[in-house]
Amino acid sequence: MNPKRLLAITRAGIMESLHFRLGIFVTLFANLIYLVLVYYLWKAIYASSGTTVVNGMTFEDTMIYLILATALFNFLEMFVVWDMSRSIQSGKIVLDLLKPMRFRKYTFWSYTGNHIVQFVLTFIPTFVVVMIVTKGAIPMGLNLVWFLAATVIALMINYNIEMLIAPICFFTESTWGVNIVKETIVLLLSGATIPLAFFPEKARMVVSYLPFRAVYDIPLSILLGKNGSDTWQGLVSLFALQLAWLLVLTLAGNLFWNSAVKKVTVNGG
Amino acid sequence: MEYSYKNRAFTNYYHADNYNILVIAQKRKRENEMSEYSGNEAVIMKNVCKDFKVLNRHEGLKGSIKDLFSRDYKTVSAVKDVTLTVNRGEIIGYLGPNGAGKSTTIKMMTGVLEPTSGEILVNGKVPYKNRTENCENIGVVFGQRSQLWWSLPLIESFKLLRDLYMVPEKDYQDMIALYQSLVDIEPILHKPVREMSLGQRTLSDILAAFLHNPPIVFLDEPTIGLDVSMKAKIRELILGLNKEKNTTVILTTHDMGDVDALCKRIVIIDKGTKIYDNDIDHLKTYFGSYRTLKIKRADDTWEETLIDDKTTDVMDVIMEKRKTMKIKDVKIDEISTEEVIKKIYEGSAK
Amino acid sequence: MHKRGLGFYARIYRKILIQDLKSKMSYRADFIISTFGMIMTNLSGFITFMILFHNFPTINGWDYYHMLFLYGFSLVALTPVQCFFDNNWNLRFMVQSGDFIKYCFRPVNVFFYFISEVFDVKGLGQLAFGIGTIIYAWIKIGIPVTPLVIGKLIVFLLTASLFMIALMNFAAATCFWIKGSGYVMVIMFRFKDFAKYPSSIFEGIFKIIFTFIIPIAFIAYYPSLVILTPDNVPLLSWISPLYGILFVFLSYKFWMLGVRKYDFTGS
Repeated sequence: MNPKRLLAITRAGIMESLHFRLGIFVTLFANLIYLVLVYYLWKAIYASSGTTVVNGMTFEDTMIYLILATALFNFLEMFVVWDMSRSIQSGKIVLDLLKPMRFRKYTFWSYTGNHIVQFVLTFIPTFVVVMIVTKGAIPMGLNLVWFLAATVIALMINYNIEMLIAPICFFTESTWGVNIVKETIVLLLSGATIPLAFFPEKARMVVSYLPFRAVYDIPLSILLGKNGSDTWQGLVSLFALQLAWLLVLTLAGNLFWNSAVKKVTVNGG
Repeated sequence: MEYSYKNRAFTNYYHADNYNILVIAQKRKRENEMSEYSGNEAVIMKNVCKDFKVLNRHEGLKGSIKDLFSRDYKTVSAVKDVTLTVNRGEIIGYLGPNGAGKSTTIKMMTGVLEPTSGEILVNGKVPYKNRTENCENIGVVFGQRSQLWWSLPLIESFKLLRDLYMVPEKDYQDMIALYQSLVDIEPILHKPVREMSLGQRTLSDILAAFLHNPPIVFLDEPTIGLDVSMKAKIRELILGLNKEKNTTVILTTHDMGDVDALCKRIVIIDKGTKIYDNDIDHLKTYFGSYRTLKIKRADDTWEETLIDDKTTDVMDVIMEKRKTMKIKDVKIDEISTEEVIKKIYEGSAK
Repeated sequence: MHKRGLGFYARIYRKILIQDLKSKMSYRADFIISTFGMIMTNLSGFITFMILFHNFPTINGWDYYHMLFLYGFSLVALTPVQCFFDNNWNLRFMVQSGDFIKYCFRPVNVFFYFISEVFDVKGLGQLAFGIGTIIYAWIKIGIPVTPLVIGKLIVFLLTASLFMIALMNFAAATCFWIKGSGYVMVIMFRFKDFAKYPSSIFEGIFKIIFTFIIPIAFIAYYPSLVILTPDNVPLLSWISPLYGILFVFLSYKFWMLGVRKYDFTGS
């Protein structure tokens, strides 16, 4: 793994992402509108509930959580499976598998460029806006560093999940179906649609051990100092969970992927 | 004025470098002759231009970031003042290097793009103003993209097209019978397009393009990537259909075999302008003095040299070569069409 | 020149649709998994709904069963766009690759031809969910069943469906002008999730935006009020059919404008 090579691939990825300049602005704008919707919905929800704190979350807490979750969603979103399935349909996959670097690594790093652009252009502005609007509700300190670390791990976990899904798509020749199942599960169980704090007790117990939580809930908890992450013990246990899942998924992914490559069915004449 | 041009051109008739002047003279002549649509022209293009606005992109990472906010556009002229008339029943070869503006002009003729300026009449109507009407009267095979339904057997695609174009049942059956007589379509008729080989797919697309008996058919690189026998089959098909139905065919190609087999007339586009428009025989005549000298070497390989008979004596060249190598066999051919086109491309680059 | 009337388009539509279904049937595994995926999406929606109500018994004065009715109503209203206009999701890729041009070579309306190529059977699953939910909530709320009410229901369901169709048309057509605008479609799709909440939650300028410009309010809220509060139907509910037709027409025009203005320089 030559760092120069990796840098070159990342740089190429950044340039390609910036190419779609208007698309980026449109994405940002669309996000803002979505957040407005979220704001009004939860405002009404909290207004109707009669109390200001529900399950340990105030309206402000929920808002900040959901806004950052949306921003994070943009950042983490990968079209790996879609691009791959298109590449298989067109037969281009053969070219990709022939490239000098190992396919999985290469794909990961080529998406990194896009992620960096998304992070800078979507997440950071959103973060700044939230800080200004809430007048500094997000604690600024070492937690930012831990947050970045957790985010990187979350990214890798997300990638591994995608790589696990990909072979399933090939075998069943059903990209949309499998992907939608995955997305629905991930979004719901990771706390991206509704903060996990609102889940009923028993459900929350189960969900807190699943890998999906590691993608959204854990990084955000660390950033906001929730779920015990403001103590050393809490922080370490959260990281441990993340890393454990990363390990498991990487191994599973490797096995699955290698057997899948052998059986790849290429479409067309 | 015209006479002196013609005169000058005449004396230098065989000199390749001055074919340009002859072209200009002919162009002037044609333009002055061009009347309103008389019914015999399939396509009329007059002073057609097409410009595109393109962002001025800068190099490197910093450049990409700067581009994010730039409003610096430049205008690219894809087609510059092209005038062309195609008569009914002609098969014309539409040639030019890649990026010359060929597909842009075809897109304008099929009504998909609107010209920036100039006039186009296809079958007497303006294509981009009457898109659906224009489509009734044209057939298109565009690149390697099949327009047929991927998972359907060919016959089902044909039936759908028959319905789409509202072809009377009798005409449809006659057409299928004609196809059967020209090429054996039985084996592919019930095959889904996705299971066909490239050659069969191309054949199917061409058949589909002619199905509703349009007066004009646009074929974009139909023989690309095909094996020799398939190419021959397709050329035969096109000739047969052109003869039977008097269909005008505008054939874009890079393959000189296509040109030789099918076209009486060729039009060459380069950098957005028309640089040649005449019969293929004229072409050979311009370069009539050129000969391809083929010498078989000692190891049985052939060496080719292009010689201008007017400046160099072929025999002298053979004698020179004899001094340095063993000559097993000699052949002297006319200049190939390919070489002619190459010379024209080179000429326009000057 | 052949005249192509409504009859022609209806016949052609049926034929093209059947072909799409035939070819989809051949991918059996995909069919099963996609149906499963659809069920998952709907289930997830329900779970989200349940969790919300677990914590918050009412929202803006709307109780559980009324909200459920709204939810079911929105599901049914969203089915037509899911089933019939699914090809809009492919527009971006076809335009990018240059394959889109083939739709411009046929003597039929480009929008029609493009949209008719795909029918999404999975959408029917959503329809079933939606109808079931409406019936359940209907019974629990105790709305009387008369031919008039049923008639109103059908009319306003159809009206409501126009809005999402229009929104997706607008979103998809942006690909003619903006590269990489795929996210707009994703976001529009997520906007629809907010259709199941009463639009009374919006205030001020956003109320206007989400009612008229991105008419989420019209997808379920206003039309369903005709059934839920028949004695107190706001004016906007009554004009929703007209606005729906107008909006969908505008989106069609926008889509076609994109086709006309596009450079076709995909490849």
